[in-house]
Amino acid sequence: MPWSKIVGGSSRLGELLEELATGLEQGLLPAGIFNDPEIFEREKEKIFSRSWIFLAHTSEIPSPGDYVLRYILDNAFIVVRGEDGQVRAFLDMCRHRGMRVCRAEAGNASHFRCPFHGWTYRNDGALVGVPAEREAFGEGFSKADWSLLPIPKLEEFDGLLFGNLSPEAPSLKEWLGDASWYLELVTKRSHAGLEVLGPPQRFVVNTDWKLALETFISDSYHTLMTHRSLIELGIAPRDAKYAMYGEQIHIPGKGHGTMVVGGPPGAKLPPFWGYPEEMMERAKTSYPTRTHWEVAKETRIFLITLFPNFSLHNPIRKPDHLYPKPVPMLTFRVWHPLGPGRIEVVSWGLVEKDAPEWFKEKALHSYMRFFGSSGTFEQDDTEIWSHVARNAGSTLGRRVLFNYQMGRGVAPDPNWPGPGVAYPINFTDENLRNFYRRYLELMLD
Amino acid sequence: MNLTQEILDFLYGEAELLDEGRYREWLDLLTEDILYRVPVRLTRERLPQGGHSGISEQMFHLDEDRTSLEMRVARLETGFAWAEDPPSRLRHFVTNVRIGEPRHTPLGEEVEVRSYVLVFRSRWDQPDFTFLSAERHDTLRKQNGSWKLAKRLVILDHSTLPTHNLSFFL
Repeated sequence: MPWSKIVGGSSRLGELLEELATGLEQGLLPAGIFNDPEIFEREKEKIFSRSWIFLAHTSEIPSPGDYVLRYILDNAFIVVRGEDGQVRAFLDMCRHRGMRVCRAEAGNASHFRCPFHGWTYRNDGALVGVPAEREAFGEGFSKADWSLLPIPKLEEFDGLLFGNLSPEAPSLKEWLGDASWYLELVTKRSHAGLEVLGPPQRFVVNTDWKLALETFISDSYHTLMTHRSLIELGIAPRDAKYAMYGEQIHIPGKGHGTMVVGGPPGAKLPPFWGYPEEMMERAKTSYPTRTHWEVAKETRIFLITLFPNFSLHNPIRKPDHLYPKPVPMLTFRVWHPLGPGRIEVVSWGLVEKDAPEWFKEKALHSYMRFFGSSGTFEQDDTEIWSHVARNAGSTLGRRVLFNYQMGRGVAPDPNWPGPGVAYPINFTDENLRNFYRRYLELMLD
Repeated sequence: MNLTQEILDFLYGEAELLDEGRYREWLDLLTEDILYRVPVRLTRERLPQGGHSGISEQMFHLDEDRTSLEMRVARLETGFAWAEDPPSRLRHFVTNVRIGEPRHTPLGEEVEVRSYVLVFRSRWDQPDFTFLSAERHDTLRKQNGSWKLAKRLVILDHSTLPTHNLSFFL
């Protein structure tokens, strides 16, 4: 049966998904999936309405009453730590007539008061104040029935808070599967855990969320050309194939992928991303297993993308072209979909809480100068992503098949010590083929 | 020439260099100890005393010193800086210039200058464009008879940037 029959709707959506289903294993993907209103509508329903979406890091809201406002699709959520220390997330919508009750992106509040009619909620969501309650609503009215609506699911993994719009969603642990082992390479690098370096940068890019994450789940191949300017400046290695080395690992059935890069053979790079000696020593005792440490000490560049739209990038990096020593940086980001061919990038810089102060400052500079809104790496990525999306949305361009055939026929690495399916080379699209298998599975479900 | 005219000439001349992509000449307008910052702006509740709020003291879109600015300019000259190749068509509209009292410092005569800037950006053949709007808090210092930029704080009017990168200067 053709997929167009299975998915229903217009033939346009059906055709694109059918092309994706037929072409995926041969590494052929229709450009149209990257900028199409019907694809986007289905992604909202089938992907974003039931996936675990990153909301915040707990270090953004360390004290009772601290809150940040975050989105899943077009839904605004107040992510808030209650007076009891517990983190909750509520739809930012007054239960009476729907006005926003939170009037800032971040802050500290014991209560949220609706400016429309004055309904007032405690930061644990309970409705505690209704003006002229008895006169207006009478005896039968119970405030307990009108609390702020909690997000259907909220769970934490090592300080990373994820929300899910579906009450039927599997647990976050189950969703992450073996990807959590790789997350721990970052989250358990220190006993103290991570802290954000201020609020996230936010900027809008005319592209598709999938195009953005591709770069952070698999595409080290683009480094040669997209980031050639940094190679010319001596920030990135001159070896044209340097991004090829490393293991690319995916978690089958989950869609998650990671890249663990040690560097070219024989390259004189400091161990453990180039983190300060004291941080390296502490990590030896904070990792949950010996294998974590064995992998981490050989790692210089590390990326994870969790299905569908959370990425983490943790490279060894020189903070500028003259600085003598590398200083690694860590960024989290959400590829927040705004519409077909349009996203908001939400990009955080983070560092270990117990890192030396001099290092925190350098790591922040390293982040701001290379990634995020002005980052000298990322600004070229966003330029290119926007033109790919523009072509993908064109009437002829949408029918073109993209090539995802890199690395076909390469056998998995049987000696890789971590979980998942590992390939011994980074010039491969294995992580992407795995990502789109999961994508297709959900889109056709 | 009076101080007002000197400062206006500096700001307008600087805008011309930025709009024409003459970044080496722009670097010559900066002191060696330049501090150039564009903090992240957040939507926050009104402060009881009024005035600006939500200006992050920790996270910036740009937090640059002389070396990192030179790195960004050198990058634009490599021939592989795709974010600005083809270059954006930029126009810095500088208005509402307010000039403080000049003062003598160990480093030379300095003056605080506030201005508004509206930056128009257009790329490729696309008819749409983006605007960035901001207030600039500058410190200018007179060196060998010429004004140089010693410090700039750019307070954006945007919480979420409406443009896909900051591959240029404000």
